[in-house]
Amino acid sequence: MKNLGLLIVVLVGAVLIYATTDFPPFGDPESPASLHVSPRYLENSLEETAVPNVVTSVLVDYRGLDTMFETTVVFAAGVACFLLLRVPRRRTPAPRQYRHRLTGLTFRIKDGGEISLPLQEFEPMESIWTPHDFIIEKVCCYLIPFIQLFGLFVIAHGHHSPGGGFQGGVILGASIILLSLSHDLRTALKRMGEKTSALFSTFGVLIYAGTGALCLLLGYNFLDYQALDPLLPGGPVMARYHGILLVEVGVGMAVMGTMIWIFRNLASRGRHEEGL
Amino acid sequence: MVIAVIVVVCLVAGLIFFAGGTLGLLRFPDFYTRLHPAGKLDTSGALLVLLGLAVYQLFPLTLGSVLTGLKLMLIVVFIFLASPTATHAIVDAGFRAGLESWKKGDPRR
Repeated sequence: MKNLGLLIVVLVGAVLIYATTDFPPFGDPESPASLHVSPRYLENSLEETAVPNVVTSVLVDYRGLDTMFETTVVFAAGVACFLLLRVPRRRTPAPRQYRHRLTGLTFRIKDGGEISLPLQEFEPMESIWTPHDFIIEKVCCYLIPFIQLFGLFVIAHGHHSPGGGFQGGVILGASIILLSLSHDLRTALKRMGEKTSALFSTFGVLIYAGTGALCLLLGYNFLDYQALDPLLPGGPVMARYHGILLVEVGVGMAVMGTMIWIFRNLASRGRHEEGL
Repeated sequence: MVIAVIVVVCLVAGLIFFAGGTLGLLRFPDFYTRLHPAGKLDTSGALLVLLGLAVYQLFPLTLGSVLTGLKLMLIVVFIFLASPTATHAIVDAGFRAGLESWKKGDPRR
């Protein structure tokens, strides 16, 4: 059986290596990939969309439908993690632990037990609770705003430099994940709840698809941002420029929301109570 | 000319720091001692290399080149805050998990 597997792997590998001999030489200007649409994109992108970064104009404008479904795949991953992992309610009630804020005493409440003291003086504790580290907490507190600012910069600057919705969204999502790593999941949830992250994820995709549908309503093709000319200042070329920005914001929101959503479901095994 | 000398000195010094950090990472005997070069030498190596790059692209002096230099320095500030904190967090985690530190005469771990 093992030998059979090896044989198959070697055979498939040999076929693949044989097939590479049909490839055009590296960097060949006559190859199909550099003959038809690529020169057109490279030559006309700046005139047609006013975006200096050709990658962005191809990704979001010329090949906009492709990127819309990429964003949808990201969203679908978030929904799949939610549906697979999220536990709506504790199935087996477990003992809980509370810490008195002033004295630092910890209480353990048995299953179904009730606490009859004023609850605002207590904070719920995780079973694997570790004391917060002052240095990590403070440094992250100072870094996170700047990381988020940089994320917004990357989203907005995708027209002129490497960057855009996907990268900026990942940076924004990572800043919230850093908050839950440096403090704990509950603190991060207090700042940005589960619903908020799910809504961010959904609205990001909605903004993308909605921009396309708006173009359709204005009498142009789906995702032909030229249609936004009457709504945005600066003429048809700048309408495409602004349409790209609008869609990038949608992509950024979707990626950010989904990253946070997936992280929470994975880190707390769907309970959203304890975890990193 | 003077600029070129400064740039080369910065880059070479940075590379020496990086090389020392890598060597220490490979050669030191245990978890805590390995984090020592990883946290310190990589941070100072990054400082020197990025400083060299910032000086290199500063001339001819225009607003754009100054801005790029400032952005490179911002990366340095970020690394100087983040890298020691990350090292601290990792050491802390090892300490809490109960990892014994290496003593002279113990085998490498």
